[in-house]
Amino acid sequence: MLKMQDVSKIYRTELIETYALRRFSLEVTPGEFVAITGPSGSGKTTFLNVAGLLEEFDSGSYLLEGRDVRSLSDDERSRLRNERIGFIFQSFNLIPDLDVYDNVEVPLRYRRLSGADRRERIGSALELVGLASRARHMPSQLSGGQQQRVAIARAIAGDPAFLLADEPTGNLDSLMSRQVMDLLEQINEMGTTILLVTHDPELARRAQRNVHLVDGQISDFRAYEPHPSVGGATGAAGAARA
Amino acid sequence: MSLDIRPTLSALLRNRTGAVLVAAQVAIALAVLANAAYIVVQRIEKINRPTGIDEQNILVIESEGFTGRFHQTTSVQEDLAYLRGVSGVIAATATNSVPLSDGGDNDSLVTRPDEPRHGYINDIEIDEQGLDTLGVKLVAGRNFRHEEIQPPRTKTDISHFVPVIIVSRELGEYLFPHQNPLGKQVWDVLNHAATIVGVVDPVMGTFPHGDYPGRVFFLPRLPDEFIGVRYLVRTRPGQRDTVARLIEAQLVTSNPDRVINYVRPLTYFKNLSYLGDSSMEIFLLTVTALVIAVTALGVFALATFNVSTRTKQIGTRRAVGARRRDIVRYFLIENGLIMSGGVLTGCALALAAGYWLSVHYALPRLDLYYLVAGVLALWGIGQLAAWQPARRAAAVPPSVATRTV
Amino acid sequence: MFGYYLRLALKSFGRNPGITALMVIAIALGIAVCVMTLTVYHAMSGNPIWWKNDRLYAVTMDNWDPLRRLMPNLDLPPFEMTYKDTQFLLASNIPLRKVVMYSTLGVISGVGTEPPAQVATRVTTADFFAMFEVPFRYGNGWSAGADKPAQPVIVLSRAENDKLFGGANSVGRTLRWNDREFRVIGVLSDWFPRPRYYDLNGSGSFQPPDAAYIPYGWGTDLQLLNQEENDCWRPEKLDTYRDYEASDCVWQQMWVELPDAASRERFQSFMDGYWAEQRHAGRFPRPKDNRLTDVAQWLRDNRVVDNDNRVLVGLAFAFLALCLINTVGLLLAKFLNGAAVTGIRRALGASRRQIFAQLLIEVGLLSVLGALLGLALAALGLIAVHHLYAAAHLGERGGYQELTHFDVVGVVWAVILAVAATLAAGLYPAWRIGRLAPAVYLKSQ
Repeated sequence: MLKMQDVSKIYRTELIETYALRRFSLEVTPGEFVAITGPSGSGKTTFLNVAGLLEEFDSGSYLLEGRDVRSLSDDERSRLRNERIGFIFQSFNLIPDLDVYDNVEVPLRYRRLSGADRRERIGSALELVGLASRARHMPSQLSGGQQQRVAIARAIAGDPAFLLADEPTGNLDSLMSRQVMDLLEQINEMGTTILLVTHDPELARRAQRNVHLVDGQISDFRAYEPHPSVGGATGAAGAARA
Repeated sequence: MSLDIRPTLSALLRNRTGAVLVAAQVAIALAVLANAAYIVVQRIEKINRPTGIDEQNILVIESEGFTGRFHQTTSVQEDLAYLRGVSGVIAATATNSVPLSDGGDNDSLVTRPDEPRHGYINDIEIDEQGLDTLGVKLVAGRNFRHEEIQPPRTKTDISHFVPVIIVSRELGEYLFPHQNPLGKQVWDVLNHAATIVGVVDPVMGTFPHGDYPGRVFFLPRLPDEFIGVRYLVRTRPGQRDTVARLIEAQLVTSNPDRVINYVRPLTYFKNLSYLGDSSMEIFLLTVTALVIAVTALGVFALATFNVSTRTKQIGTRRAVGARRRDIVRYFLIENGLIMSGGVLTGCALALAAGYWLSVHYALPRLDLYYLVAGVLALWGIGQLAAWQPARRAAAVPPSVATRTV
Repeated sequence: MFGYYLRLALKSFGRNPGITALMVIAIALGIAVCVMTLTVYHAMSGNPIWWKNDRLYAVTMDNWDPLRRLMPNLDLPPFEMTYKDTQFLLASNIPLRKVVMYSTLGVISGVGTEPPAQVATRVTTADFFAMFEVPFRYGNGWSAGADKPAQPVIVLSRAENDKLFGGANSVGRTLRWNDREFRVIGVLSDWFPRPRYYDLNGSGSFQPPDAAYIPYGWGTDLQLLNQEENDCWRPEKLDTYRDYEASDCVWQQMWVELPDAASRERFQSFMDGYWAEQRHAGRFPRPKDNRLTDVAQWLRDNRVVDNDNRVLVGLAFAFLALCLINTVGLLLAKFLNGAAVTGIRRALGASRRQIFAQLLIEVGLLSVLGALLGLALAALGLIAVHHLYAAAHLGERGGYQELTHFDVVGVVWAVILAVAATLAAGLYPAWRIGRLAPAVYLKSQ
């Protein structure tokens, strides 16, 4: 569903030209769980921005669900981000003055949905992440893990084609990390493609496929067997509900 | 197009300090704007009330005799003869007071002899050319005849009244409600009678700031000897100033027993009378403009501040699918809510101020039309002030969301 | 520490020149408008002879029409008195000083090549100059003996003396007043009480004082009339000047100086006694209302400060409030924006009080700048207003342009107002910032 071919992104200053991505190619099929790894400065964030239509690139091509991204207007890109992509950020990026419900609602507000429709989607999203009882709490009243789960709810409430996760567990302790990863796997099982950007090899192992980035280029491919916990109804999924 | 009002409002209420400060400014601005606009319009209307007088083309000359040789009647005759012969002069008359100047004479008139006194009524002495000099229109009856013009009162003869008078329509209505005042008789303080032979309309007397500036009557009498005499001279349009120079040059030297105090256009006196009002207008307009400017500045500053402190949020919203115009709309809605709060409070404040002004300072009650106009104007200006910051917000790139610093 | 904070404040201004300039301008505008309005108000409502307020009294008796007041909008007796009444009261020895007077017009001629010109002339008894503490440049006034029979002596104002004699010492010189020879015995120094409390008739309470002063007896001798305000109500014979003097027309102004409560009471009884007598003879149909009004009350009664002025003062304060709220908002924004740095300072050990002090110094500096700019703007504004009125050819009237006179007391008060107001505005933001825990700032958004 996602096909990048020889994508390059260059950051120019007066003196220096840096290739954040250098002739990067990647193909992702629907339902895949791909991890993009690499040290800091390797271009992971740039990849994320490009893949998520947050930034434009300089050369190459990027087809998203068959559409050439370069031909899209800003409004069309916004629409794609709204309907087809879900984002999960390292620092959660919840809006501090809105409660949990309103935070999850934000992307839904940018679509033509009826109030009832929105309510339903938000309800099931919060159910999935296990925070339905906290719908009216403020982000400052939640732990880091809970906040990230709200962010996940926000990302999936619109039923996107794929999720882009940027170091989703970077600010969490190990217990919360596990919960979040379990949730992501669960979502992947439900059919959503997931692109996970991380520097943590442990996390990367939970994906089906790894892509390793160094200096904007792929240096390594690694394919894994599906993780043993994928498909199991107990264990991780159960832990997420607790 | 969903309006996002509810969540925007909730967010606003949680973080309200900036919003409250701006709303307070807007409230004060509205109270000032509505009341100031009202007062200014009132004053302008007052200044532009129809006077019936050909203000632009009339000169006022004051002549004062000071030696023992000076003879009022002869002097007036000579001067008027000269003035009426000057080219460019339509008519000239001698009078005791200057219309619209806030200075003059009043007399008390009643409609039955020995009746308890009514209020004082403005009176103006003129001769048979008086009405033409002022340019006022007779709507009924006739002008004074030359033979009806009484000689001036003297120091031994102060109480002399006149046989006929001409009244303003307003005065006629006051003295004889719903009747034709023509032919009716009135009595003065000393119980002398006069018959009303003419009615003019519109006309304003010498006290524009009085309670009834349109209640005035004209006396056919040469001005008395106690104070200087004033001549009113009406010129053809455009010739006023040249005639003024000519007249002054001639009259200053034509009679050594008197001094010419001034030759001035009637507009000088009118402007002087209304100086307080026009100053008030200027001050009000200036301060109102400043008030609006400072308030707009406050709105702009808050909007800019909000944008600059929320770049991460803007980036996130864009990342989850907001278009540029959704971001603009978000900030305009937020600003709109603040403006609405301010405007609502401002209405209460404006009405309270208007009421207080009307009670304590006898200004008329604020007309709601001005309040509504003020609300719309301020609201519009406020949104305009927030427009540029909102545009800047929309320019925040979505990639801000993934930055970690 | 103060110098350090001052440096920090200046650096902070340099970093945000735009917002700093906006704040200073907003404060300055608010101060300027307030100072201008208050200057005018102060000029209008001040009592120019405040130190004598417990001794000087305007005398009035209500001899008016039983059916209607002279001034229906004011619930007061007429401001002037009849000739008959003033003559009677003038005979009393109770007051330390007594003045009866009115203003007339006369033509001065016979001075060199000066053309004859009409001037406002005050016909007054001798005590005028001492009672109102009128300063003399040359010579002096006349004594009581010169009032009756009236001596042909005249006192000139400084301006009139400048005009006629080029400002020289003209005592002893003669001129013609209404074609009669008078001798100059005194010339006044600059004297321009604002408002002209002793005579609030005529056009505007801010007229310049009269150009000339002549003894009271000339009124009767030359049959002079009050050229400012005459009012009559009773149907009575008014054919001759004598009739006028005997009538119930009011046209004379009377003031007395009563140094203590005892003399005041005595004079009041004296008036009341006279009133009773006259009432018995058929005059004074209205209820008894014989007043001794001090200058402060006299100004209020005469509505010297008109409504417009009060409205403008109220408006000015509303504008100041607006500017201050605006400043609070801008300060908050500015301080919050700099919060990260503040957080670092707190983390490095600065106490709340020290942060508060630092921010308050910044606010203080801002307020001083705003005050200075505001005063400059106010001065410019008053000059502009002065020219506005001058352009309307009002020089000879005195009038409003005299109000645009910036006095030292006013300036001091304005500065205090400015600095106090701004400091008050800055208190809240400084306190808010000082209060927050350091961690709050140090976290990223």
